[in-house]
Amino acid sequence: MYPRQIPETRPVARLAYAACVWIVLAVWLLPVFAIMLTALRTLEDVMAGNYWGWPDRINLWGNLVAVFTQTDMLRYFLNSLIITLPSTALVLILSTMTGYVLARHRFPGATLLFATFIAGNFMPQQVFMIPVRDLMVSLGLYDTFGALIIFHVAFQTGFATLFMRNFIAALPNELFQAARAEGASPGQVLVQIVVPLVRPALAALSILLFTFIWNDYFWAIVLTQTDAVKPVTAGLANLRGEWASSWNVISAATLFVAIPPVVMFFLMQRHFVAGLTMGAVKG
Amino acid sequence: MSDVKLTSVQKYYAAFHALRDIDLTIQPGEFVVMVGPSGCGKSTLLKSIAGLSDITSGRIEIAGRDVTRTDPGERGIAMVFQSYALYPHMSVAQNMGFGLKIMKRPRAEIDAAVRAAAEILRITDVLDKKPGQLSGGQRQRVAIGRAITRRPDVFLFDEPLSNLDAALRTQMRVELATLHKRLGATMIYVTHDQVEAMTMADRIVVLRAGRIEQVGAPLELYRNPVNHFVASFLGAPRMNFFEGRLRDLSAGATLEVPGLPEVTIPALAADHGLRPGNRVTLGLRPEHMRIDGRGVTTPATLRLAEELGRESVLYADAGALRTTGSDTGTESVTLLLGAGTPPPEGSTLQIGFDPADAYLFAEDGRTVTAPKSAP
Amino acid sequence: MLRTRRSLRHRATPALLLAPGLLLFLVVIVFSALRTFWISLHAWDGFGPMTWVGLSNYAELWGDPQFWVSLRNNVIWLAVFLLAPPMGLAIALLVNQKIRTMRLAKSLFFMPLVLSTVTVGVIFVWFYDPSYGLLALLFHAFGASPPAVLSSDTWVTFAVVFAALWPQVAFCMILFLAGLNTLDEEIIGAGRVDNARGWQMLRHIVLPQLRQVAFIALAISMIGALRSFDIIAVMTSGGPFGSSTNLAYQMYQESLFSYRFGYGAALATVLFAIMMVFIVWYLLRLLRDERSA
Repeated sequence: MYPRQIPETRPVARLAYAACVWIVLAVWLLPVFAIMLTALRTLEDVMAGNYWGWPDRINLWGNLVAVFTQTDMLRYFLNSLIITLPSTALVLILSTMTGYVLARHRFPGATLLFATFIAGNFMPQQVFMIPVRDLMVSLGLYDTFGALIIFHVAFQTGFATLFMRNFIAALPNELFQAARAEGASPGQVLVQIVVPLVRPALAALSILLFTFIWNDYFWAIVLTQTDAVKPVTAGLANLRGEWASSWNVISAATLFVAIPPVVMFFLMQRHFVAGLTMGAVKG
Repeated sequence: MSDVKLTSVQKYYAAFHALRDIDLTIQPGEFVVMVGPSGCGKSTLLKSIAGLSDITSGRIEIAGRDVTRTDPGERGIAMVFQSYALYPHMSVAQNMGFGLKIMKRPRAEIDAAVRAAAEILRITDVLDKKPGQLSGGQRQRVAIGRAITRRPDVFLFDEPLSNLDAALRTQMRVELATLHKRLGATMIYVTHDQVEAMTMADRIVVLRAGRIEQVGAPLELYRNPVNHFVASFLGAPRMNFFEGRLRDLSAGATLEVPGLPEVTIPALAADHGLRPGNRVTLGLRPEHMRIDGRGVTTPATLRLAEELGRESVLYADAGALRTTGSDTGTESVTLLLGAGTPPPEGSTLQIGFDPADAYLFAEDGRTVTAPKSAP
Repeated sequence: MLRTRRSLRHRATPALLLAPGLLLFLVVIVFSALRTFWISLHAWDGFGPMTWVGLSNYAELWGDPQFWVSLRNNVIWLAVFLLAPPMGLAIALLVNQKIRTMRLAKSLFFMPLVLSTVTVGVIFVWFYDPSYGLLALLFHAFGASPPAVLSSDTWVTFAVVFAALWPQVAFCMILFLAGLNTLDEEIIGAGRVDNARGWQMLRHIVLPQLRQVAFIALAISMIGALRSFDIIAVMTSGGPFGSSTNLAYQMYQESLFSYRFGYGAALATVLFAIMMVFIVWYLLRLLRDERSA
């Protein structure tokens, strides 16, 4: 391993090294601690400029109650789930199908298609903004969950297809030949061989997609208007305008918004890291 | 009726001519081994028979049916892959039953077929395991079992033993030969290992650069290779080749080879087409070389002796007598002697041979000596 | 070449599997990108009919000082984001030790990446708050008066970029950590036997093996810099007085606040063109690697 490992025989050095790392980490996460501490405070405490001191009174519960009762955050939170979960599921289905075809079937224009998926995936969102908004308006979907779901599914399918294609292309070729020799049709190969084998990739992909879609802000403000469909990111940004200096409440709401992706991350950390680095590191 | 018949099979990969005009008829129940150096097209040919690779032109028949454009699953074949290609997410039993399940056979029939195959291959106790939990030899058996359950007209094997260690390879070789006798099925087997070819085949097909060089029973190929390539490909240690020039054709072929006294090969093929002055290659199998001073001899220094117990392989430097294209990459002459203690390394020997044992190859590689009969 | 005789079902299946995802992508993504260019040649308020104006939106851009501010800010974003790969590598090297608690430390280093940009923006607004924020506290500690970085047209872009750098560094760190785990142990061993140490080891033995990862980290950072929008919207709304806009944000404002969709589309097209340079560079390398692999 590189860098050279500090040997087990030098426990003091190892302890000191770990301590250094944790100090760096503390600095790294300083902004997060600030938000966490602030979420514990009362408004008076914040206004008094008590930034790092221990809060006068732990008011996390009060702040959360304020978030739930005096703001629409709970509604936004549900909206985000309503948008994110079906979008993620749909992308997983579509990209498994497209990724499988791209990985296993040669056809003219495959490379061009591949390049289009990559390019589309890296484009600044603003490039699609006006036509997509116009399309949703003319379909009567503007300011509905449908608009956001359709856009997210279309956009993420590009990335997800690349992801699945790379994973499926790495499966041993002979496995597919064996299935063909046994008379399995392309559809049967997909259902009986590919899907069971790509489960790890689907797990990694689902957490990435969940995070990407949950965290979207741009399309939330471009394609929605009313609180009834606004996701939590747009809601949080609004909240900051409405509750200008009530940083204790804003902080509590911020933590609330961050909960699902952070929980997903810690539950499926291995998959998350594998997903992000898949393809990037081929040795 | 033949089980597999290939007629004028051609295949191109873009400009690369992978299979050149292949004609081959395989009889029912025959065990045919296709050998050749890597890139010779043997695997491509096998995959074409399986239908996993489309051919450019020609015709493939299996059990009397034209299957040239039939999907692999409907050709009546089963294939055993080099990497075994077991489905990692299925148990052994599911792997073996997958083909029948695709054919929508009743559950009871699948179970019975799996059980019967597992008993033949002695893997009944691992039926519920996943391939990842099996040893290499067990995986090999499962792969074969998967082929057996489909009851194919033809079994195709793509270098199936190359991932096994030497001991297991010998064991599986014997088992496969036994299985062939027991099932009586047609089997086509691709390998680059000439020991597998010699020991298992009813007939060997030697391929080079997409073309069939020779087809025949193992010993026939060994004894009467049609050309320089087949002669050099079969036999380990490899045949010694010496370049020379033809001097006279009045009685047999008299040739001069640098480092040897004049040699006269007694019997030539009827259509040898040689002329005095032609360049030729003299071929001598190592087991036909001797050190008893009889036959045509020349002095040589023993460079290295490999004692294998039952036999010894000697490498000798014979001055101006130089081999070309040897296994060892040197110009030494290789001798294979029977049991007994070889002379000490560094000693001087009289190496020699009986001209009747020698092969002669024309400049274009054709064998021009008369066919040799069984001893 | 003779095709094998497959039933129609067999041949049609791949096309059927490809169709839904592909159509959706083509209609919503590819067609939209092309249509943006078409709209940029028109004057349009987003509701009424479009009027053909040729290249005059682009001519107007050239003379628009706000456009040059946006472009300058895009360059600043790109330049600062160049720091992300080396910083990510540094942290990856720091935590790549098999010591207890290191796994947890790694996860916590990743954390900024999981947070939404809105969250990061809010966190940093609080961090930069001139009366109570952590930055203010630091300045007070040194006896200086704290600057209001988000209201300063000199500092605002840097303040925003540094906030955005935070998750980007985490991303690069993940990539490099994965890269460090695929290093060829034997080559590292050979380097150690040859007594390569410290910088030499990193420079001559380790970095060459991380080339692929470093390239991806760099490309993703550059593309990320050009795509930035959310954090500007959350932290400054482009202010003060448009001094922290970039092309993406200006485009959004021109379209949805000034109802100048044609002009907005022209900005988007310029952004598209700049991005294309990076994407083509990335794609060519990717394809080359794919071919050689």
